[in-house]
Amino acid sequence: MSWTRRYAALIRNAWLVDLQYRASIVLWLLWGVTEPAIALGIWWAIAGSGTVGGYARADFARYFFGVMLINQLTIAWDSWYLDRWIREGELNFRLARPLHPAHEAVADNIAYKARTASVILIVWLVAALLWPAVRLPATPGRLALTAVAVVLAAGMRFFISFTTGLLAFWTTRATAIMELHAGVSLFLAGRIAPLALLPPAVASVAGVLWFRSMLAFPVDLLTGNVHGVEPLLQGFGTQLVWLVFWAVACRVAWTRGLRRYGAVGG
Amino acid sequence: MRQVLRLLAAFWRINVAEELQYRANFVASVLGTLFYMATALLTLALFFRHTSQLGGWDYWEIVVLLGVFNTLTGVIEAVLRPGIGSLVGEVRSGELDLVLVKPVDPQGFVSFRRLDIWRFTDIVLGLALAGYALHRMGRAPSAEQLVAFGLALAAAAVVVYAIWVLLMSLAFWFVSVENIAVLFDALFEGARYPVSAYPGALRFLFVYLIPIAWTTTVPASALTGRLRPALALVAALVAALVFLLARLAWRVALRRYAGASG
Repeated sequence: MSWTRRYAALIRNAWLVDLQYRASIVLWLLWGVTEPAIALGIWWAIAGSGTVGGYARADFARYFFGVMLINQLTIAWDSWYLDRWIREGELNFRLARPLHPAHEAVADNIAYKARTASVILIVWLVAALLWPAVRLPATPGRLALTAVAVVLAAGMRFFISFTTGLLAFWTTRATAIMELHAGVSLFLAGRIAPLALLPPAVASVAGVLWFRSMLAFPVDLLTGNVHGVEPLLQGFGTQLVWLVFWAVACRVAWTRGLRRYGAVGG
Repeated sequence: MRQVLRLLAAFWRINVAEELQYRANFVASVLGTLFYMATALLTLALFFRHTSQLGGWDYWEIVVLLGVFNTLTGVIEAVLRPGIGSLVGEVRSGELDLVLVKPVDPQGFVSFRRLDIWRFTDIVLGLALAGYALHRMGRAPSAEQLVAFGLALAAAAVVVYAIWVLLMSLAFWFVSVENIAVLFDALFEGARYPVSAYPGALRFLFVYLIPIAWTTTVPASALTGRLRPALALVAALVAALVFLLARLAWRVALRRYAGASG
């Protein structure tokens, strides 16, 4: 069976499962956009009629609309699923399938993101009709670059989440580690503020580690805040390096963890 | 009433005995809360890198408010989420039958039957944070202000409870929405900052429609002397109103419940 057909079946399945939980998904979506909405409200108040670190009210509005969309497109809940799969033995029947469980997880992500991100996109388009501040110039080149960055970020966040979830082979607090990571990324990934507003030392740490690549870089691309070729290449380069890093980490955690899991079951 | 209390006391005893088996959870819970508070304080520090006031409040005043926020988070996580928060699943599975056949008031029993005792530390840590912030402001609240704060905080807890009851009553109509509590979490995020920091429309929403403003802004204001102590009486009135509304919604909702066999 070809990979396209496998994935078509997996995505279709995930889409239909999500359909049953569509009301729940709307609530998760609402919860997901609250944080950037409140951050926007606060920065809006701080900016007043002036600018903060080069950001005026309208810039904040575009930035946080970008955060809502791109966070939804790149977020991965897999550590929570894996934690449950491993602790409750739901991994067993998945291992018995002739397909690596990661493919099911990837398909779930694609179906979920297609559903939720398109809701945000529609809301954004409606908002842009009424509120000029959040309109973006639709330059095809910029959108294409953003799309690439989003795919890289989504891939990386998937591997981070999957790897953290695999820690459940060793500890019962794998999701707590993910929460910790989420807490740090609140600042370093640019969820609470554009990185330009952080103390410069913190912002550079965010750029060297994987955090900026997770969210802030694609958002900056979308809102037109990456100027020049060098920052562009640097941003994509960092994304690629950390994507590979987390993919390898995931692979290592998977093989080692599985060996351990087998030992427990046998 | 006494019967309910006796029954609840028995449940709590079992509850505490169970939890005491997992003492490592205590450490994890405290560490989690401290991390959460540190994140909130850092966020605030980030905002104040670029401003000297937020909605007319200075840094330490908002830290007092964060302390109140954390105290209420403790109430939510220790009492409401484990108790009334598990209602949705029970409505769907019909397990609520087991509650309804008991000769007690179902709302009281459902609300307070189960406690997550470790999360009570959130209340202590939240009050400590508020106290520390007051100390940093060099302000000792008068006895009158303390009484007003106590009253406003109690009113806040009632408002939060009533919002949970209202949301959970919806579960009787929307049986398939298992994560309805998320709606509360999203709303309550708004209570992290004083309402005056928000644009006009949102402020109106938080004061009058979803009375989130009464949960953190008012108690914190009472403590820092920003509002006259008499406002605590208004807070109590608001709490009473919202409570009655929630009680009514619960009654109507319960009539819809058909049980496991129906």
